[in-house]
This record gives sequence, C-alpha cells and structure tokens, in this order.
Amino acid sequence: MKIRPALLALLLGASCASPSPVELMDPPQDGKLRIIAFGAHPDDCEWAEGGAGAKWAAMGHHVKFVSCTNGDIGHWGMAGGALAKRRTAEVKKCAEILGNTAQVLDIHDGELMVTMENRRTICRLIREWKADVVISHRPNDYHPDHRYVGVLVMDAAYMVTVPYFCPDTPHLTKNPVFLFSEDEFRRPNPFTADIAVAVDDVIEKKLAAMAALESQFYEGGCNGGPHLVPDTKDAAAVAARKKQVRTEFEEYFSGPATRHRAALANYYGADAAAKVRFAEAFEICEYGRRPTPEEIRKLFPFFPAK
Amino acid sequence: MASDKARIIVFGAHPDDCEYVAAGTGAKWAAKGHAVKFVACTNGDVGHFAMAGGPLARRRTDELAKCGRILGLTSVSLDNHDGELMPTLENRKTVVRLIRDWKADVVISHRPNDYHPDHRYTGVLVQDAAYMVTVPFFCADTPHLAANPIFLYCDDKFQKPNPFAADVAVAIDDVIEKKLDCFDALESQFYEGGCNATADTVPGDPAGKAARRKKVREELRAAFASKADKFRKQLEKRYGKKAAKIEYAEGFEICEYGRQPGAEELEKLFPL
Repeated sequence: MKIRPALLALLLGASCASPSPVELMDPPQDGKLRIIAFGAHPDDCEWAEGGAGAKWAAMGHHVKFVSCTNGDIGHWGMAGGALAKRRTAEVKKCAEILGNTAQVLDIHDGELMVTMENRRTICRLIREWKADVVISHRPNDYHPDHRYVGVLVMDAAYMVTVPYFCPDTPHLTKNPVFLFSEDEFRRPNPFTADIAVAVDDVIEKKLAAMAALESQFYEGGCNGGPHLVPDTKDAAAVAARKKQVRTEFEEYFSGPATRHRAALANYYGADAAAKVRFAEAFEICEYGRRPTPEEIRKLFPFFPAK
Repeated sequence: MASDKARIIVFGAHPDDCEYVAAGTGAKWAAKGHAVKFVACTNGDVGHFAMAGGPLARRRTDELAKCGRILGLTSVSLDNHDGELMPTLENRKTVVRLIRDWKADVVISHRPNDYHPDHRYTGVLVQDAAYMVTVPFFCADTPHLAANPIFLYCDDKFQKPNPFAADVAVAIDDVIEKKLDCFDALESQFYEGGCNATADTVPGDPAGKAARRKKVREELRAAFASKADKFRKQLEKRYGKKAAKIEYAEGFEICEYGRQPGAEELEKLFPL
C-alpha cells in the first residue's frame, strides 16, 4: 500500500493463498516475455505496475504479481486470516481485470524480514517464472515491508544465476533485468525514471483494479474507519464513495506523467509525450542485467519505432 | 600504530575478493614488513558450475593459501556458506574479534552497495564493527582496541546511492605479475570460470588450455589497467608527473565510521 497525503483521508490501509495449480505449472515456452513483480502487500503491484502489467498481458506476455505479505493487518476493522483471505480474493479479481497471475505469500503484514528463507523464496519464484524482468520496490520506500521487499529482491539478483544456490530449483542462465517501481522518497537518493510507460489505454483497467481492492481503498485500509463506508442500502452514498475513490485515483495516477514528461519524450517523442495523461515509471537496478536502449524497447514493446 | 610497522586486515566476501581489490597493495605492504591478513567472509562453496559444498570450500581455501604465498601474507576464509552471509550479531562479533586479534591499524572491506549480497553484507558487517572494536565490554572475551582503526572501502563500479570515491590510490606496476599469478592460482574462479561458466569454458586439448590460461591473464591485466585510468587523478596527487606512466593501480575510499586520517597520515600509511 502506498500513502499519499492527498489520498490519506480517503484511503486511510495492507493475503494468503496457496498457489493454484496453474501457478505451479511450468511457464509456457512460447517466446513471450516473462515479467514478475514483487510488492509488499496485496495491492502494491497493482498500484505500481498495474498499467504496464495490463499492457504486457494484452500482448500475450506473461505477468505475475507477487505480494510478499498476506496483508493481514491492513484494515481498521478486521485482521488475521479472514482479512488475508479477503485480500487474496481481491488481488485475484485484479488479476482477472489486468490479465496477470497473482500470488500472495503467507507472511504476516508488517513482519517481513530480510532472512535467508525469504531470499530463497524470492529466488525460487524468479527462477520458476523464468523471468526476463523483475520489478520491486526500492529499499528506501516508506514502509518496512516495502523496504525489505526491495532488499530481498536486490539480494536475489545475480544469485538467481548461481547454480548451487537453491540447487533444488534450476538456475537462470541470464540475470534478468531488475527494475524498481516509483516512490517519492529522496534519501539517500531519489527515484530516477529510466523508463516511462504511457498507460492511458489501460487506465480503466487499472482504476477497476483499485475499485476491486475495496478493503484498501473503498474502506480505507488500516488507517480508515467506519465513517468512510456508507450504509449499503444507501445507493446514492455508495455511488458517491465509489466516485470519490475513483476521482482521487485519477488525480493520483496522473502524477507520474507530469513528473516524468522528459522520460516519456525519450520513448514516445515530445509531441506524443505531451499528450500522455497516465504513466508508470521504472528505474533500472544496478544489480540486474543492464539493458541497452534497444533491449529496453524489446522488454517494453509499447513504444513507437524511433 | 604501535611501531613503524602497520597491521592491516582486509575483508572480502569470497575466496578471491581480497586478492581482486587489494593484492597489489597487500604485496607491497608485506614486502615492507607490515602485517597483512586477507579474510574471505564466506567459504565460496557455491562458486563453481560443476562442484559445490565442502570439497569446493577446501579447494578454494587451498587457492587462498597459494595466493598468500605469492603475496607474502596470510589469506584465509571463514566457514560461512557462499551466498548466505547475513548481517547477524554472531557475524559482527566474529569480525570484531578478527580485527582485535589482528590489532589492526587499517581495515579494508567492500562497500555496502557492491553487486553481490555477500559483498554488501561484508560491507555492513565491517562497518558495524567499526567503533565497536573500541568498546571494552562488547565482545568482552577479546581485548578491545584502544584506537579505532582506519576503515577503508575497496573499489566497485556501483553508482547508487553514491559512487566509489577514491581517497588514495596505489601504483602496483612493480607487483602486477604477482597479482596476476594469484588469479592463475585461483583457478576454480578464473581459469575454470566459477559459478557462471560451463563445461565448455576450458578446452580439452593442451593448446586450448594454454590459450585459455593466457586469455584469462590478459583479461585481468586489462581490468587492472583500467583502474589506473579510473584513479589517475588520485595517482597524480601522490606520484606527480610519474603518474601518467603508471599502468596498474588500486584505490581506496575512507569509511566515515573509522578513525579519520589526515592527508599526511594516509600518504605515509599507503605504500608508494
């Protein structure tokens, strides 16, 4: 979950599931790209790369979103296993909307630590997905779970290529490209948009995903309260609350395009970039493979030909 | 420094890392009678494409011993699994005891933003030992140091959150062949290519093997030569006009958590 001052009043909130048989199957070797994103809570991947995820998925590429905790304290009125199950169901709904696969690790919300066990889990997930691209938080995001997702994923970079580290899972012969999703934190260094993707064409899907994450946004998550949630019998109030959530997200998701206009211009040209309203940005992590500009265009097959 | 001889301890992540970043300076110090110890914080037991576990750890320990003989210093490894070094309190205490037992004046390690988790956590552990080595009742079983040593980082190429900034550079032209001999001795890692190689990396025929050995040596020679260019400015500061002709170098950055040496002390401490 991400908190922005503008959204704080509105959202004021963070699943657990065994992977379905589909998730345990070997990924198809069909020449399509394979992307795996790690977020801290069951909503973070959808928030940070729901748009890019939907774009990849629409082209037949394989996208998996992993929540590293089950989100079981991410609500003002409920917690524990019941909330974890509810949030897992929410990200599954998002996955239907966006076209990705979703998995939620059964680790308590607020308790993710940098352990060898967790490093191995991440390493195996990246290897099993045969990932070309791995996305995570930066290690200086706002929430400890976010920061430790960043550290765990950084610590899996390169190690995924070492055959006798986790020898139970075949290693990757190529270090994937590791990317960070955007955050607003400045120290020790601010986020740099190395890649910016326009998501105008899928913004409705992304907004629908946010609506599906109702424990977090409609109800406000851990810092929300009953005052946010109208009586279900009051259809007008329910509609108004839904509209309020959507309006706040429309505003929030228009931020990256403004902040990263130069990066958008780099990929779309200045004229097209000026018209982008919704975008997502990514920073290249130094510990993964370092893609050339040509390879970035292959991994993000969304940009117009130069 | 208790005498005019310095005591230096270098921590690397794997059994080859100290050699990679400090073999030249280490050999020069050792030749002048200073006491130098290289410590690999892991045993390197997943660092090969075909072998692993205890046999690889022992093989790599033997490789370090060979390097130690070449350089005239002690090079050892700790029995921690490769790829599994964590910043635990137990590991911090191990590092503190090693620094104290060596009565170190100078401690060198990786930066905490190097490419491999073991490198990063070596950097964290050594940083976390700085200052603590002077606290008498931390690890009370091992006499503390009266003065915080000078802590330095060795070179890496990573830019975030900040790039490596050499405070001192050492010309190693006079010992470069010794440094290259080490990498010949570290054959599991370089000649055979370590964990990311394949069975095809080393050719089967004698001519092919000789060519492979030569290629590895020349690649490393080029890598160490690039450091002289990287640290040319720092070399100029120490060597003046002669710096332009220096072919091979090693660079070190002062860590903020150790004792902060003045320019003169640093100059005196590092061999020319």
